[in-house]
Amino acid sequence: MFEMNAAEPMQVDVPLEDNENNESECYVVENPTLDLETYSAAYTGFAKLYRLMFVADHCPSLRLESLKMAISYVMTTYNVSLYQSLHKKLAEAVASAGLPDIAVQMGSQDIPVLDTIWVESKTKKAAIKLEKLDTDLKNYKTNSIKESIRRGHDDLGDHYLDCGDLTSALKCYSRARDYCTSGKHIIMMCLNVVKVSVYLQNWAHVLNYVSKAESTPDFTEAPGKDTNQTILTRLKCAAGLAELATKKYKSAAKHFLAASIDHCDYPELLSSNNVAIYGGLCALATFDRSELQKQVIVSSSFKLFLELEPQLRDIIFKFYESKYASCLRLLDEIRDNLLLDMYLAPHLNSLYMQIRNRALIQYFSPYLSADMHLMAAAFNRTVTALEDELMQLILDGQIQARIDSHNKILYAKDVDQRSTTFERSLTMGKEYQRRTSMLILRAAMLKNQIHVKNIGRETGPQSGEAPGSSTSLTCTVRTIDTVPL
Amino acid sequence: MASPLEQFVNNVRAMSASGNFRELCEIIGKSDEVLQRNSAHLTTVLETLDIQQHSLGVLAVLVAKFSLPPGTNDVDRTTMFQQIHDFINNCNGEQVRFAPDLYADLCHLLTDHLVDLKQPIKGIEILKKAIRKIQLFDSQLTSIHADLCQLCLLSKCMKPAIEFLDTDVTGIGSELGGNNDSKHFLLYYYYGGMIYTAMKNYERALYFFEVVVTVPAMVVSHIMLEAYKKYILVSLILHGKILPMPKYTSQVVSRFLKPLSMAYYELATSQHAAIKHRETFVRDKNMGIVNQVLNSMYKKNIQRLTKTFLTLSLSDVASRVQLAGPAQAESYILNMKDGMVVFLDSPEKYASPETLCVLEQQMAACTKLHQYIQEMDEQIQVNPQYVKKSVGSHDEDMPATSQNSKTTYSM
Repeated sequence: MFEMNAAEPMQVDVPLEDNENNESECYVVENPTLDLETYSAAYTGFAKLYRLMFVADHCPSLRLESLKMAISYVMTTYNVSLYQSLHKKLAEAVASAGLPDIAVQMGSQDIPVLDTIWVESKTKKAAIKLEKLDTDLKNYKTNSIKESIRRGHDDLGDHYLDCGDLTSALKCYSRARDYCTSGKHIIMMCLNVVKVSVYLQNWAHVLNYVSKAESTPDFTEAPGKDTNQTILTRLKCAAGLAELATKKYKSAAKHFLAASIDHCDYPELLSSNNVAIYGGLCALATFDRSELQKQVIVSSSFKLFLELEPQLRDIIFKFYESKYASCLRLLDEIRDNLLLDMYLAPHLNSLYMQIRNRALIQYFSPYLSADMHLMAAAFNRTVTALEDELMQLILDGQIQARIDSHNKILYAKDVDQRSTTFERSLTMGKEYQRRTSMLILRAAMLKNQIHVKNIGRETGPQSGEAPGSSTSLTCTVRTIDTVPL
Repeated sequence: MASPLEQFVNNVRAMSASGNFRELCEIIGKSDEVLQRNSAHLTTVLETLDIQQHSLGVLAVLVAKFSLPPGTNDVDRTTMFQQIHDFINNCNGEQVRFAPDLYADLCHLLTDHLVDLKQPIKGIEILKKAIRKIQLFDSQLTSIHADLCQLCLLSKCMKPAIEFLDTDVTGIGSELGGNNDSKHFLLYYYYGGMIYTAMKNYERALYFFEVVVTVPAMVVSHIMLEAYKKYILVSLILHGKILPMPKYTSQVVSRFLKPLSMAYYELATSQHAAIKHRETFVRDKNMGIVNQVLNSMYKKNIQRLTKTFLTLSLSDVASRVQLAGPAQAESYILNMKDGMVVFLDSPEKYASPETLCVLEQQMAACTKLHQYIQEMDEQIQVNPQYVKKSVGSHDEDMPATSQNSKTTYSM
C-alpha cells in the first residue's frame, strides 16, 4: 500500500481542478482597496495559496502581484506541481497584460523565472523524505508502539500536505484514527481531517468530523482551558465555513458568533477578520431584529470581532438604526473586496439580496401606508425597480401589503382575521373530504385487488404494454377523445 | 332440437323453480360453448324461457347470442337493442346478481353495438336502469358505470352521468376486481374526469384523474398515460402548477409516464410550449384543454396582480402578464367575471345565512366521512385474519384481506 504511494508521490492535485471550476464563474473585480501584503500575511499553507490564486483569477490589477507572492510562498514547501502551474499562470498573465516590451524588461528583474533546478532538487528531496517517513512508519509498525505509529501517520500526512497531495494526506490523517489512545489525540486527528477536508471542499466531511471532535469525552469535560477554547473556536470556524458553503447561512452565522477572539488563531483556514465578515453578513441576512440585537450588537465577544472590520460594524449598526440608505451604500462599498474572498464570493449576491429584503420588510413594518417615492430614495432605487421588488415580496407573503401603482403608494393590507379563518377552515374541510373519499376508494380498490397488470399477453421486456393498450381499447379511447372539451 | 341444448333448457327451468341459483350459475358458466355452437336455435330457446322467472338462463342465452362475431348470419342484430332493453327492464334483480359479470358483459355488448351504430344517446336511460338494478347500494361501482360514461361523452349529453359520478364510491362490484383486468375501473375514472372537465368542474376532474393515475400498477396502461396528461392540464388550470402525486403512486408513473409526457411538463414552465408542442397536443386531442390552460394562466397572473396592486395601468398589466398590449389585457379583464376589474378585497364577509348553511353542510359531510372511516376501522379490528396477524402468528400465508387492511393504514 505504502510502496504504491511512494512510487507516485506527486499525484494530480484536486484543488487545482477546483480552481478551474471557479474560473468558469467569471467575474472581474476592477477597483479593490485590498492591501495584498496584509491580506496574505493572515494566512499560512494552502489557505494563503488558494486565496492568492483566487485574487489572481478575479482581479487583473492584482494578478501579477498575487501570483508572485504565491510563488515565493510555494517555494518554501515541497509542492512542486503547484509551483509549476503557478508559473504557467504567471506566464499567461504576463502575456495577456499586452505589454511585451515591459514584461521582457521586467522579466529580468521583477518577474521570477521558472527555476528548473529548484524543481528537480525539491522533487528529489520530497521523495527522500517520503521514503524516510515510510520506513520510519514501517519500523514503528513492526515494534507496534501505538503512539509512534500515530505520529508516523501524522508526519506522513503533513508531508503529503506539504507536497500538495491532499487526498493522500487525508488518507494518512484518517488512518491515524486507529492508533489514538486519548481524547486529545482523537481531537487532533479530527482537526487534521477537518483541515484537509476544507481544502478539498468536502463540506459534509467537515461537519461530520467537527461533531465527532465535539462529542469526544475529554473535550467536553474541561471546557475552561485555554487550549480547549482554541480548539473550540477552530471547530466553530470550520463548521461555519461548511454551513456557509452549503448555503445554510443562519447556522453559519451561529457558528461564527460562537468563536472567541482571544483564541481565534487558525491561519490555515481563516483570519479573525474573516470570522467577523462571514458571521456579520450571515447574521444580517438571516437574523430578526431581536436576534441581531442580542447575539450580535450587544454580544461582548463578537463586538471585538466587529472592531476588526469597522465598516461592517457600521453597516450592522446602521441597519439596526433603520438607516437603510447609508447601510446599503456602505454594503455596496465593501462589495468589491468581498468578491475577492474565495468562500464568500459565490454567496455574496444571495446574502445581499436577503439583507435588502429584510431591510424592505423592516422599513415598512411600522406603517399603514408608505410613499414609494420616499421609499425608493431610502433604498437608492428607482420607483419602478422598487415596485418589482415589493411585488415579489408581497407574492412570497413576506409583506402584507398592496401597491397603488397609480399614486405610487404602498398600503398595508387590512387582514380580516375572521374571513381568513372561515376561508381556511372551508378549504381544510374540502381537503379532508377529498382525501378521505380517496382513502375509502383506495381501500375498496385494494380489497378488490384492482391493479394494472399484464393478463396473458406476451409483451417484451420493457413492460410497456398493459390491458389498457390493446388495440380495441386504444380505439375506444381515441373515439372518446374526439368529444371536444 | 339438439340434446345438450335441451339439457340446458331443462336445467334452467328446474333450478330456477327450486331457487338453486348458485348451482345454476356454475352450469351456465360451463354451457357457454354449447350455446355458441347452437347459435341457430337460440331464438327458439329464448321463446321457451320467461324473462322474469328464468332471468339467469335468458341472460346467458343473450350474451352467447350477441357475442358471436358480427358476420354470423344466424344473429339478427336489428332487434338487439329491443331485446336487451326488455331484458333489463323485466329481469329479476335477485337472480342476475348471482352473475354480475355476465350481466355486465351484456351491457358492454349493448354499448359497443350502440357505438357502432353511432346512436349512443339511445342507451343512456337503459344503462342507468341497469346500474340501479345490479347495485347493492348507491355508492357501489360496477363496470357498467364506464359504459354509461362512454355513451354520455359520445352523445355529448353529460348530465345523466353526473348523478353517478357525484356519488363517492365506497364499494366495488366483484366483476371489476379479482382476476379481471382493471380496464373498466380505469375507464370509468378516465371518462368521469373528462365529463367533469367538460362541465368545467375541474376539482372533481382532478380527483378522478388522480384516481386513475394512482391505481396500483405493475405495467403502464394506455388509459393511465392519457389520464396523466389530462391530470397535468387540469392541475395547471386549477392551481397554476402541477400538483405532486401522492406517496402511494406506483413507481411506473415516474418511471414511464413522466418521460412520455414531457411536452405537458414544459407547458407548466413556459407558455411557448403550447406552440412548440402543438403537434403533440393535437395528436393527443388535448388542444382544447391546452387552450384553456393558457387562458387560465393569464387570468391567474392577473389575479396575482390583484393581490399585490390596488391600481395598475392596463399597459402595466399587459407587460407583467406578458400579453400583447393594453387592449388584450382589457379584454381579458373584462372577461373575468369575478369582479376582479376593481382590485378590491373579496366581498365575501362570511356573515350571511347561506355561508352558515354551507359551513354546516361541509361539517356534516366531514362528520359522515369520519364515521364511515371509524366503521371501516372497527370492521378491520374484528377481522379474524387481522387479529391473527396482529397477535403475531406468522406461520400462515396471509390472505389478501388482512394485507389490504394494513395497506389502508399506511395511507
